[in-house]
Amino acid sequence: MELFSNLMLGFSTALEWHNLLYCLFGALIGTLIGVLPGIGPVPTVALLLPFTFGMAPASAFIMLAGIFYGAQYGGSTTAILVNIPGETSAVVTCLDGHQMARNGRAGTALAIAAMASFFAGTVATTVIAMLSGPLSRLAMSFTAVEFFSLMVLGLVAAVIMAHGSIVKSLAMIGIGLLIGVVGIDVNTGVARMTFNIPEFADGLSFVSVAMGFFGLAEIINNLEKPSHQIVVSQKMKNLLPTWQDLKTAFPAMLRGTAIGSILGVLPGGGAALPPFTAYAIEKKLARDPSRFGKGAIEGVASPEAANNAGAQTSFIPLLTLGIPSNAIMALMIGALMIQGIQPGPQIIVEQPELVWGVIASMWVGNLMLLVINLPLIGIWVSMLKVPYRLLFPAIMLFCCIGAYGVNNSVMDIWLMLGCAVVGYFFIKVKVETAPLLLGLILGPQLEENLRRAMLLSDGDFSVFVTRPISAVLLGSVAVILLVMLSPAVLKKRDEIVESEG
Amino acid sequence: MSPKQEAGPKTSPANEDLFFGLFLLGMAILVFASTRKLLIGTSSNMGAGYFPQAIAWGMIFFGVFFVAKSQVRPSEKVYAPYWRGLFLIILAVAVFSLLLMKAGLVLAAFLAMLIASAASKETRPVEIVVYSALMSAASALLFVRALSMPMPIFPW
Repeated sequence: MELFSNLMLGFSTALEWHNLLYCLFGALIGTLIGVLPGIGPVPTVALLLPFTFGMAPASAFIMLAGIFYGAQYGGSTTAILVNIPGETSAVVTCLDGHQMARNGRAGTALAIAAMASFFAGTVATTVIAMLSGPLSRLAMSFTAVEFFSLMVLGLVAAVIMAHGSIVKSLAMIGIGLLIGVVGIDVNTGVARMTFNIPEFADGLSFVSVAMGFFGLAEIINNLEKPSHQIVVSQKMKNLLPTWQDLKTAFPAMLRGTAIGSILGVLPGGGAALPPFTAYAIEKKLARDPSRFGKGAIEGVASPEAANNAGAQTSFIPLLTLGIPSNAIMALMIGALMIQGIQPGPQIIVEQPELVWGVIASMWVGNLMLLVINLPLIGIWVSMLKVPYRLLFPAIMLFCCIGAYGVNNSVMDIWLMLGCAVVGYFFIKVKVETAPLLLGLILGPQLEENLRRAMLLSDGDFSVFVTRPISAVLLGSVAVILLVMLSPAVLKKRDEIVESEG
Repeated sequence: MSPKQEAGPKTSPANEDLFFGLFLLGMAILVFASTRKLLIGTSSNMGAGYFPQAIAWGMIFFGVFFVAKSQVRPSEKVYAPYWRGLFLIILAVAVFSLLLMKAGLVLAAFLAMLIASAASKETRPVEIVVYSALMSAASALLFVRALSMPMPIFPW
């Protein structure tokens, strides 16, 4: 019972009282920013990164993970109550969840969403626990060749769900890789692309880069749009769903969880794809599809389950292979590196308390969200009334302080500012920034593995296709690119992305 | 192609793809310029310049692709940026960085928030002064006192 003992180890870490507090703190902060439109989990995690310095690695990771799934949770609360998806992943929940609220069943919708999330979270935790061991053992046999191919796969696959053109996203990865290798080259010791700025010798602070692109640039963009008045007229009653509700919702929850778990594990999976797929499948399976969009309870249960399962299983590539599947996971890798832990398959062996503690904390955190948040709904709704004119100067201030905080360097604030201007340009030309962050995080490792692989093979690039695992990985890259660039898929993807926006 | 021939926003040659393509080309030039003195090496023994320049060639490829695409099939027009927001946020962050070590967090934060809030048309003067004062005091307490980040609170 290796799995059992691993989980026990995890729970003993997650249930230490200070880790419980960090988990609670993360989940609450996550819910808060999930509720607040205009600030997402990426800048929040980036902002809190400097403060994880002094924490134990497990505590830091538990808190940051809490922010991530808390944000998913908060996003669906606002989706149901006021028809505003706090996060992209909650867009589908608006469709039927808000209709339920308008039919006077807001309480039921919230309760079902919470239960579906918790159920999915429980299953996903088990999935992570079961897959992590074998996957990391497989990865232990990888050499630089396989790692290079794996990273290429991770980068390319992550492009799939980015908005906008695939070619643009690939170009963005390239920009990220370039920014990532700024600094002293570890092999030769010469400074590269630092423009004689001594602060850049250790590489560009990814916290500054992330907050520039995701925090400040977003603010400038949001300022342009008129803020909308939010009216919440729903009175919360009947939080408990009826027996009939449960009977309808449970199979949908099961299906959603399965879809989310599978899609989440894939590189490039994450929060957006699973709920859309789950909703589409529910609509196909239903005896009376016309109920959807008018407050069908399955339309809340299934996407919510898929969303949460996907969010959690997207930790699998991170924990076992050290490959981030989305921007948030890229920041999580950053958190590990701040702690001096090199992400990769070895962490599960070297840092078992960390890995299993985080896995167990996800379950604990989901339980907390379920128990704490339903009674607190009133508070979250009142948070929605905080106007953006007060939010954005504070976000700007926190970004500045956070950028400074990583290395206690004012230069990092200037770097953030530069990234903000470039990020605003990217928003203007409608290019998604998330792939850049993945490239930035993976850049140094990609180069290192490429160099090592080439050194071993004496400069022969064919080694990437003659070694079987590497060939399969690169083959998948080729298939993904071919499929994604085929006209039929492009059209379908545009429809999904359109309906998201 | 004259903008008058075809109506609608899609006809302007100054479009998203063109800007993005030019940005990529500029980026590639910057990389080549800053890595020109670095050793390239061979594929079996890569120098410090190998990887950045290889990626930069990719940037050139993508850049040319987007510039060419923009000329063949114009993409959507880029709308003018929100200058007021852009300028004031830049100014606010710049003021913060310049003042932080000399004048301390409270003053830097207070001024930065005031400048930034002028970027929104919905800002109310009295409210924002009180709010900025409260926030800068709170952040001094939280970040410097509680989390002991090394920065001065006051100019003295």
